[in-house]
Amino acid sequence: MNHLHMDIHLIVAVTIGGIAILNAALFWFMPCLTRRDLYFAVTVLPGFRDQFQGTSILRRYRIELILLSVLALAVFVAGFVWLGVGFVPAGRFIPVAASFIAFYRARLRVLPFAVQPTTIREAELLGHNRIVPGGWMAALGPFILLIACAVYLWFHGREISSRFTTANPPGWARSHWGAAGQPDGFGVYGLSVYLLSTAGILVALTLILYGLAHWVRPVYVSGPERVHELKFRRTVSAILLALEYYLAVQASWILLVPRRGDLATVGLVPLAFVFVLVVIVVLARLGQGGSRIPAGHDARVPTSAAPVGDRTPDRFWKLGIFYFNPDDSAVLIEKRFGLGYSLNFARPTAWIIVLLVLMAPLLQVLAHLMKGVRS
Amino acid sequence: MYKVDTTWSHTMLRIDLVSRVPVYEQIANGLRAELVSGKFSPGAKLPTVRTLAINLGVHHNTVAEAYRQLAKEGWLELRRHHGALVRERHRPHAGPDAMERFKRPLRELVAKGLADGLSPRSLAREMIEAARRLEGEPSS
Repeated sequence: MNHLHMDIHLIVAVTIGGIAILNAALFWFMPCLTRRDLYFAVTVLPGFRDQFQGTSILRRYRIELILLSVLALAVFVAGFVWLGVGFVPAGRFIPVAASFIAFYRARLRVLPFAVQPTTIREAELLGHNRIVPGGWMAALGPFILLIACAVYLWFHGREISSRFTTANPPGWARSHWGAAGQPDGFGVYGLSVYLLSTAGILVALTLILYGLAHWVRPVYVSGPERVHELKFRRTVSAILLALEYYLAVQASWILLVPRRGDLATVGLVPLAFVFVLVVIVVLARLGQGGSRIPAGHDARVPTSAAPVGDRTPDRFWKLGIFYFNPDDSAVLIEKRFGLGYSLNFARPTAWIIVLLVLMAPLLQVLAHLMKGVRS
Repeated sequence: MYKVDTTWSHTMLRIDLVSRVPVYEQIANGLRAELVSGKFSPGAKLPTVRTLAINLGVHHNTVAEAYRQLAKEGWLELRRHHGALVRERHRPHAGPDAMERFKRPLRELVAKGLADGLSPRSLAREMIEAARRLEGEPSS
């Protein structure tokens, strides 16, 4: 028993420690990955980051980031020792919160140097580059897999071994096993809850995939910037599609393995960790919005003195991370500090996506409450 | 990872959000210039209201207003859920007030050009060139 507890402690410590280090490393490099005229989510002149004020703000940000990350890790370890494994779900957000504080303080230091972005907007009238990688047939794949699983379980659900179901309430499925391969208290749902919550996430991801093709405004409509921007957008689409397949395969594995024999020990957490690492490296190589133009592809010389940024005014960015602009029809918008896209929270579609993503944990919490009532 | 399309058309619409000219009018003016120059043949499809609004970063009502104005002038046919189609349009006979409507903004534009130091001759030459380009005639 002690050995098992040691194992769990070790796994949690390594996982959370790894996530915290990865998180701090990402925040360390993030200011270098954004567009040249955006600095800590503030529109600045393109050369600002190389000037004395710019480098000094970056140095201070990195010192604070290290200190706050170490402090966050210490708080996490203390909480874990004091409250046990139950502290992990909430505690894993501590390193993220620490990094955000470092970012926010740096942003406040940059704000006095903010300049107005260009007010010129351009749109291509003929060309369209709305390609979903693999086409919509590829996007349907995860749903087909999930539906196939549901149909199979509909007919064979009763044959599932007791190791994978609970006696009370009867017929509920286990989807979480501890380090020793034994089912633990986590992840006990009705099969329909598990299928529905996975389907909800898949629908949200497909909506975002559709949005990347139709609801994103290009920052540049010509030149090498546009080519790299498109490459970035397609890479993000491919990553989303890969994530959908990963989730569908994981759900199918959890649902079908009980019918196929003993559960093989599959390290899903390390697999997810590797996936995240690969995604970060691929996106970092392109730079946010494809802004890292390789040598030899000269970037376009700006036609006006005003910086282009992402062509959104600073005032619509709340805390530098939330975009809220009712006059902008775009639903997805490039993140100013981060890799990928954010939502325009002034658009109802954005809230539908948020609700779909939240559906998974909400359904699972509801299922746990119902389990309590039934037993 | 993917083959990126490096070819693009130069049929581009440009607006300035802080211009004194309302945005919907800038959009209508820009589109009209493209339509007059014949870059869109009759039956061609313009971007949908939503797409153009997203690409320009404006509210879709603004683009819809510009499309409605062009439809009223006979340039576009608006179809619900199918976007805007370019219509076959013959040059109308200029009414008595057409020249008057043209003269007013022209006077302001010429005054600005002169104030910026341009010569009357270069302004006249540029205006003839612009008309020729829009009509598809070879420029001199």
